[in-house]
Amino acid sequence: MICKTILTVLMLMTIGIAPVLLSNRSHSAQAQTAANNKPTKKVNRYACPMHPEVRSTRRGKCPQCGMTMRVVKAEAPPITTPIPTPTPSDLATASADTGGPSASTSSLHIPDVEVYDQHGNRLKFNSDLIKDKTVAINFIFTTCTTICGPLTATFQRTQQEIIAQELSVQFISISVDPMTDTPERLRVFAAKFKAKPGWTFVTGDKAAIDSILQALGAAVAVKTDHSPMVLIGNEKKNYWTRTYGLSSPSTLFKVILEAANK
Amino acid sequence: MYSPSLKRKLFFSGAACLILFAGKAGSSSLAQESSTAPERRGRQIYLQGTSQSGKPIFAYLGDDSLEVPASTLPCASCHGTNGQGTPEGGVNPANLTLETLTKPYGQTHPSGRKHPAYTNRGIELAITRGLDPGGNRLLPVMPRYSMSREDMSDLILYLGRLGKESDPGVHDAKIVIGTLVPARGNLAEMGNVIRAVTAGVFADVNAAGGIYNRRLELSVAETGDTPAASRANLERSFDVEPVFAMVSNFIAGSEKETLSFSNQKEIPLVGPFTLYSSVEPKEGSRVFYLLSGISDQARALVEFAIKTPEIKDGGIAIVHSQNELNKSVVEAIQQQSKVGGWSGGESFGYASESFDAAAMARQVRQAKRHGVFFIGNAADALSFMQEADKAAWHPTIFISGPQATAEILKVPPGFDRRVFISFPTTPADQSAEGVREFRAFSARHGLPSSHLAAQILAYSAARIVVESLKRAGRELTREQFLAALEGLYEHQTGLIPPVSFGPNRRIGALGAYVVTINLKEKKFEPASGFIDLGRTK
Repeated sequence: MICKTILTVLMLMTIGIAPVLLSNRSHSAQAQTAANNKPTKKVNRYACPMHPEVRSTRRGKCPQCGMTMRVVKAEAPPITTPIPTPTPSDLATASADTGGPSASTSSLHIPDVEVYDQHGNRLKFNSDLIKDKTVAINFIFTTCTTICGPLTATFQRTQQEIIAQELSVQFISISVDPMTDTPERLRVFAAKFKAKPGWTFVTGDKAAIDSILQALGAAVAVKTDHSPMVLIGNEKKNYWTRTYGLSSPSTLFKVILEAANK
Repeated sequence: MYSPSLKRKLFFSGAACLILFAGKAGSSSLAQESSTAPERRGRQIYLQGTSQSGKPIFAYLGDDSLEVPASTLPCASCHGTNGQGTPEGGVNPANLTLETLTKPYGQTHPSGRKHPAYTNRGIELAITRGLDPGGNRLLPVMPRYSMSREDMSDLILYLGRLGKESDPGVHDAKIVIGTLVPARGNLAEMGNVIRAVTAGVFADVNAAGGIYNRRLELSVAETGDTPAASRANLERSFDVEPVFAMVSNFIAGSEKETLSFSNQKEIPLVGPFTLYSSVEPKEGSRVFYLLSGISDQARALVEFAIKTPEIKDGGIAIVHSQNELNKSVVEAIQQQSKVGGWSGGESFGYASESFDAAAMARQVRQAKRHGVFFIGNAADALSFMQEADKAAWHPTIFISGPQATAEILKVPPGFDRRVFISFPTTPADQSAEGVREFRAFSARHGLPSSHLAAQILAYSAARIVVESLKRAGRELTREQFLAALEGLYEHQTGLIPPVSFGPNRRIGALGAYVVTINLKEKKFEPASGFIDLGRTK
C-alpha cells in the first residue's frame, strides 16, 4: 500500500518535472547556439559544450566526450541548469492543490523533515539548514569509492574560498545511503576532508532522507548511481540552480557568488 | 644481400627481444611469488596514498588550485583494489592493470579517447600531468599527483602486480583459517573441543569438495599465560603461515591485545569467545560476534524492565563493582533507559574487594529504588539479596546473564520470580533440524558431550565462515568476505538465534532472552521471547 503510494508519487513527480527540465535544457541550449552563431571575427577559441575547461585553438572533438567543440567568447559561462522560480500564481495553485502534480511546478518544495548532522544533533532540514540562506548542496555516501572524494574535496576548497571572502554560505552534504551512514561515520568523513563549521553533513531516517532527495531531484535507485550534481540556491530570493560538481572550485565559487548576490 | 653491419643490427635486436621475453617470463612467474620490497611500498601508495619514506604525496584537482593529501584520494578509491575501476555517477575509472595499459595496439576508451600503449614514462605523465600517451587530457576527476621519483617507480612497479595478488591465506587449492585456543591449564579441555569442532566442520566441507575447489585448512595458535603472550603467539603462528581469517578465537581476558591484532593486520575474525562483545573500534571493525555480550544483554534487560509495570521511571538503581569493563555496562544501561524514555537510573559503585552488602542494601533502599541492576559477580549479588531479605525488602533484581552462576539459585524465598537474568541464547533457538544435524556431526567426529555451549558456538561460527566464503565467490578477497558477512541477514544456524550483520552491525544475534528464577521448582523459567535490539535500533 505504502509502496504503491510512493510509486505513484514518484511517477507524478517524474512526469511533472520532466517537461520543466526538458524545456529548460532546450532553452539554454538554444540560447547558447544563438550566442555562438553570432558572426564575430574576434573569437577564435573553441570549447566543449559539456566540459567548459576543455579549450582548443582549432575546431575538433572534445577529447573527453567526443562532442564537437564550439566557438566561445573569451570567458565561457559555467554550465548550470537554472530551475525556474515559481510565479505567484503557480504558488497559489500549488497551495490550493498540495501534493498534486501541479506542486512540481515549484520544483523545490523542500520538506522540513527531521534529520541528523554529523555531530548527532537533530535538525529540521528546511528551517535549520535552508531557510533564508544561500546554500550549496551535494550528495555523497561515506562508503563511496569514486566520485565522492573529488566532489567533497572540491567542496572543501570552495568553502575555504567562501570563508576567505567572508561570505555566509551554508554547505550541505546529504548522504544517499542513510541506512549505513550514521552521524559517527559522517563525522569521520567530514574530518577527513577538513570540513569547517558551516558545512553540515546530513543523514537520518531513510524515509526522511528519501523525501529530501526526491524534492531536490537527486533520488536514485542504487547509491552508486548518484550524480555528481551540486545544487545551489538562495532561499530568500527563491533562486535555485544546478551545476556539475566535478568542475573546478573556482567555477563552483562563481556560481555560488551569483546565487548569493541575487 | 645484407651488409655485415645490418646483420649485426638484426642479431642485436633479436638478442634484445630474447632478453625482453626473458624479462616477461620472469615477471609472470613472479606473480605467484611474494612481492618484493619496492612492490610492497608501491602497494601502500596505491592503496593508501602514503609513502613509506614519509615523503608527502599530494593530489591536485581541477585547475590545480585544489591540493589535498593523496591519502584522501588514493588510486584504489576509484580504480579499486584489483585495478579494474569502480564505475559511479557516470564516471568510469580506467583499468590500471599493466596488461591493459601496455596493450601494444593502444586503447580506445568508451568516450572515444584513443591513445597508444603506455610506457613507464607515459604512466608517469598520466599520474603527474593528467595526460595519456596520445596527449589527450584524462577525465577531470582524475587528480594529478606529486611524489618523489622513488615513490613513482615503486608505484609503477606495483601496477605490474595489480589484480594478480591474492590475499594472505588464499592459495590455489586451499584457504587457511586460523584459530586461537587455550591448550594448557583448566581451559585446555574446552580449547580442544573448540579446535575439534572447527576442524570437524572444515573436514565435512573438504569431504564434499571444498569451497570452489579449495580445501579449508585450520591453523591453530595457542593462548599464552598473559594477554601479551597470547598476542605474541598469534603473531608468531600467523606470520609463518598467514591466515585469511580467524574463527572462534578464545579471547576472554585478552580482548584488547588479540582484537587489535585482528584489526591491525586486517584479518577478519568470526565468533570470538568473550563475555564482552564490545564493538571497538566500531568503524570498519573486522571482528564479528555471534552473540550479545554483557552490555547488550543488560540493554535487553532494560527493554524488559521498561515493560515491567511495578518499575516506574527513575525507579532503577545500578549497583556495580567498579572496574573499566563494568563502566561500559553501566553506561549502556543508562543510555538504553534514556532511549526508552526513562531518565537513566542512579548508579551505586562499590569496590569489589571490600563489598559491604548490608550498607549497600540500606543505601539503595533509602533511595527508594524498586528495580536493581546488579553488575558484579554472583556471590556479591547473592549477599546483597540476603541483606535486603533480612530487612524484608524485595526489589526486582536484574542480572546480565554471563555474571549469573549456579550460586544465584540460593536466593532467599522472598525473591521468588523477582530475579531476572538475561541469556543470549536458550534451547528454544535449537530447531529440530539443527539439533539432528549437530548430533550427526558430533557422532561423525566422535566429539565429547562436555562443553556443549562452547561446541554450539564454535560449530555456528565455523558454519558462518563457510557460508560467507561460499557467498564471497572464487575470486576470494578479504574485502569480499567482509561484504559477504555484512550481507548475512536473519541467517539461521539452527542452534542460536538468527544472525544478522551489517556495515554498522558486528553482533549477530543482538539482544537477549530474559528468564526468571522459580524457587519452588528450582529452575529457570522464561519471562520473555528474544528481545531483539537490532530492530529497536
